Amino acid sequence: MMRNSHLSWLLGAGLLMLAGATFAAEQSLPSGENPHPVHLRRPPAAPLSAMAQLGQQIFFDASLSSSGQLSCASCHSPQDHFGPPNKGPVMLGGADLKLQGARAVPSLAYLERQPNFSIGPAKDDDDNPVSLAQVAASAKDARLVQKTATQTAAAAANMVPQGGLFWDGRADTLQAQALFPLLDPHEMDGGSVERVAGKLQHAPYADRFAPLFGPGIFSSPRMLVSEAMFAVARYQFEDPGFHPYTSKFDYWVEGRARLTDAEMRGYRLFNDPKKANCGGCHLDQPTKDGLPPLFTDHEYEALGAPRNMTLAANGDPAHYDLGICGPTRTDVAAETQYCGMFLTPTLRNAATRHAFFHNGVFATLQQVLDFYNFRDTNPEKVFPRAADGSVAKYDDLPRRYWANVDVADPPFDRHAGETPAMTAQDEADIIAFLQTLTDGYQPGAPKP
Amino acid sequence: MKTKLLATAAMSVIAAAIAFNTPVSADDHDHDHDRDHHFHEVQTATPIKHLVVLFNENRSFDHYFATYPVAGNPPGEIAFHALPHTPQVNNLANNNLLTNNPNFTNPANGTDAANPFRLDRTQANTASQNHAYTPEQLAYDNGKADLFPKNTGRGTAGGVGAFGTKGQVMGYFDGNTITAIWNYAQHFAMSDNAYTDTYGPSTPGALEVIAGQTNGVQNTVGTSNSIPDGQGGLTLINDTDPGYDVCSSKTSAFVMTGSKNIGDLLNDAGISWGSFMGGFDLTQTNSNGTTGCARSSFSSVTGGSTADYIPHHAWFQYWPSTANPTHARPSSVAAVGHTMEQDGHTKDPANHGYDLDDFYAAVKAGNFPAVSYIKLPAFQDAHAGYSDPLDEQQGTVDLINFLQKQPEWKDTAVVITYDDSDGWYDHAYVAPTSASYDPTADQVNGPGQCGTGVSTQPQGPGVNGKPVNGRCGPGTRIPFLVISPFAKHNFVAHNRISQASVVRFIEDNWLHGKRLGGGSFDASTGSIMDMFDFRGEGSEDKLFLDPSAGTIVASAPDHDHDHDHDRH
Repeated sequence: MMRNSHLSWLLGAGLLMLAGATFAAEQSLPSGENPHPVHLRRPPAAPLSAMAQLGQQIFFDASLSSSGQLSCASCHSPQDHFGPPNKGPVMLGGADLKLQGARAVPSLAYLERQPNFSIGPAKDDDDNPVSLAQVAASAKDARLVQKTATQTAAAAANMVPQGGLFWDGRADTLQAQALFPLLDPHEMDGGSVERVAGKLQHAPYADRFAPLFGPGIFSSPRMLVSEAMFAVARYQFEDPGFHPYTSKFDYWVEGRARLTDAEMRGYRLFNDPKKANCGGCHLDQPTKDGLPPLFTDHEYEALGAPRNMTLAANGDPAHYDLGICGPTRTDVAAETQYCGMFLTPTLRNAATRHAFFHNGVFATLQQVLDFYNFRDTNPEKVFPRAADGSVAKYDDLPRRYWANVDVADPPFDRHAGETPAMTAQDEADIIAFLQTLTDGYQPGAPKP
Repeated sequence: MKTKLLATAAMSVIAAAIAFNTPVSADDHDHDHDRDHHFHEVQTATPIKHLVVLFNENRSFDHYFATYPVAGNPPGEIAFHALPHTPQVNNLANNNLLTNNPNFTNPANGTDAANPFRLDRTQANTASQNHAYTPEQLAYDNGKADLFPKNTGRGTAGGVGAFGTKGQVMGYFDGNTITAIWNYAQHFAMSDNAYTDTYGPSTPGALEVIAGQTNGVQNTVGTSNSIPDGQGGLTLINDTDPGYDVCSSKTSAFVMTGSKNIGDLLNDAGISWGSFMGGFDLTQTNSNGTTGCARSSFSSVTGGSTADYIPHHAWFQYWPSTANPTHARPSSVAAVGHTMEQDGHTKDPANHGYDLDDFYAAVKAGNFPAVSYIKLPAFQDAHAGYSDPLDEQQGTVDLINFLQKQPEWKDTAVVITYDDSDGWYDHAYVAPTSASYDPTADQVNGPGQCGTGVSTQPQGPGVNGKPVNGRCGPGTRIPFLVISPFAKHNFVAHNRISQASVVRFIEDNWLHGKRLGGGSFDASTGSIMDMFDFRGEGSEDKLFLDPSAGTIVASAPDHDHDHDHDRH
């Protein structure tokens, strides 16, 4: 097998066997270039359809909120890669903008290829749909392949929850997702479908509904809001701003940018199963037909992140946010093997975020990397101490669910007292690499 | 190490090249000279020498023609304007069912109640519905057709960008989305009275269009979605994989026994025919690296990938006589459609089961079979949830543009029809002509009732000639188009036909009206002859469409179907 220092090794298990290309063991290039550039297929750019233009109007319409000050764009800020613009763990909403949202705001970027929620790989053909409970039951004894950066293809077949939107996968489509914040009393607090429908009917863009949906559209508030949410979804699906793929890393893949020494070191560490092993879950390979990597395998994990006591709801010691099994999501509550599991997000633009993980307990990438590095070898560095002085490891998960926590996938397969996977320099290098995943990089000229 | 890797990589590139170029036997006889000569020797009752059956998925008649030929034409969208003198069709607009629809006013639909509503082109990707045998019957509610939202609710979400809503089953497309189909209807012939032969989803439909039969099921692995037929046998009512297919489920599969299909009759008569399905060739590797039974294609409309080949759509695989269990490759392009290899005495390994690419190759080589049954790769088959009308349009238009460029077009007829309705709303109902009285599965005329009762309307015969349960029909109304130089222009046929009418046409045209027997619906179904005008030589006017917009273009785009499975 290739030695770690060889650049070619970075391409991992997803070898890029494109027509004519060969996989050769070369020395790493000191210039920081990619020796095997790949053309990336970006979504087609075209003028927004009438449907998407309507959705754009709605996306920026703050009058739909009870406060009159929150639109979708307020929390999914275009200038912040459609993530939260603030520095706190969550955004504030409700009528007076004083209520905390339940979780950190996910970015709306890079969801255009998000699969529907399923347990195990999705079954496309639905002529005999099987209930989630049935699949979960049959998945219980399935053997799981360890998730390392060098065998991502095998792990993709694991019978584990994957896909869907929100931290808990409770919506499958962007249309369905858009309605939740609109009606959530802690967010836009739209009041009800009827109230929102009334506002849409008198909005400045109200005359756009009938040509698209027929003259009867205003006779059914429920249908009007459904269609309005679809228009918002369509805006996200079509507008290139939601999926530009213009990061330095994208251009490096295409041979139009050079990585610095630190970024290159960080990239290797990212994919080293004995180091950070980020690539085990945050997939960094283009697909065989050239679609850019999304830096997530869309799967769920319970990582046992520390409890965030700045969230008011956590003032109640009996309250736990358990992700897939509740309390926000309610349809899979019986599957307690999934309690504590949250969706793996994309790492694109992660370097610009100020709130990480579902509860926003980490504010910087440094803190995130420390968690990965020290959770098991030095838990006292990442968890608080209980009154008796012991380290309160997994303090945000009831003890009966501790068996759900990932202790199999590196670097979470270490134990107290062992050497941490990364040095301080390693962590700094990985952060340098993560910064190459931010959109808006200006590349050099395309290769001929 | 470096050299070895280079060699390995080079070998795989070469291997891929060989797989793409299907082995062609040494350049044999002069195709141009013999082209079509054979076919003029084959006797047919009509001038049609080549039938192409394009069997798409899961759309009801009203779902595609609710307002035909009038489209919404919102500003900025591909407009559709009807030709003058377009005949009236039996749709929602012409029956005043777009408002105050019983699916909206019937309180039993609860919060799902909805009027029909327009689906926009940007909503081509939708969730799919529940289209099983019993829910479809319940939706028709003894002929009132007013319980669709309640019974044929959502199947799967259909991708992150999909449209879904309560009462979605009431949505319909118009010519701003299914532009090509509306254009074909305007220039050729269609039926507004075509039905699935029985209620139920894809597999029953696939069996009906080649055999007119769903009785005679024999489980080979596990159980199938069948019901006891009351005579000691089984009738298929929902989907199950074929027993003779390496890609099938390892836990549930069946075969048909005691019956024949149209392929058997064509074999007996020595008439060339083939089943051509996207993804069937397991030796090919798609541009995304997938191969074997897992070949898949990406759709930019759905934003996802789906497997090209779906075993439970693979009609001829359900009978051992016409199955190609290992998806063996034909011995040559010249052998496509024929039982024997070119030597005339070795049985060709493919046994009439081929990849869609083989159809294009064979026709280009001058070897156009008499009868061709075609399935597009799944992402283009129109099934909501993983496919959509825009991808369907691309695959359908590519095929028909291609066929119109062939010299054989002058003797060709293309049928486009569907395997089931997906449970999409359709207002039309036919009281059962094939009765069934399974206490659980049959519900259309009451609990356990499909028909007027055992004493007044016994079930139709099964493969053993005795009355059998499970064949409740006709089922749901589906689109049915005939595209041919001999098709009537801008014509709508109103006589009732079904999927088995395809079998009947083949029998009437090539086999002197022979019938399959054993209770097959070919004996009782209607004829599609009314959609043809066989006086004269047929029209010279061709209709070339843009595959992505569905609009009329002067000549066919030069994009002949190529081997690139990387479609956008």
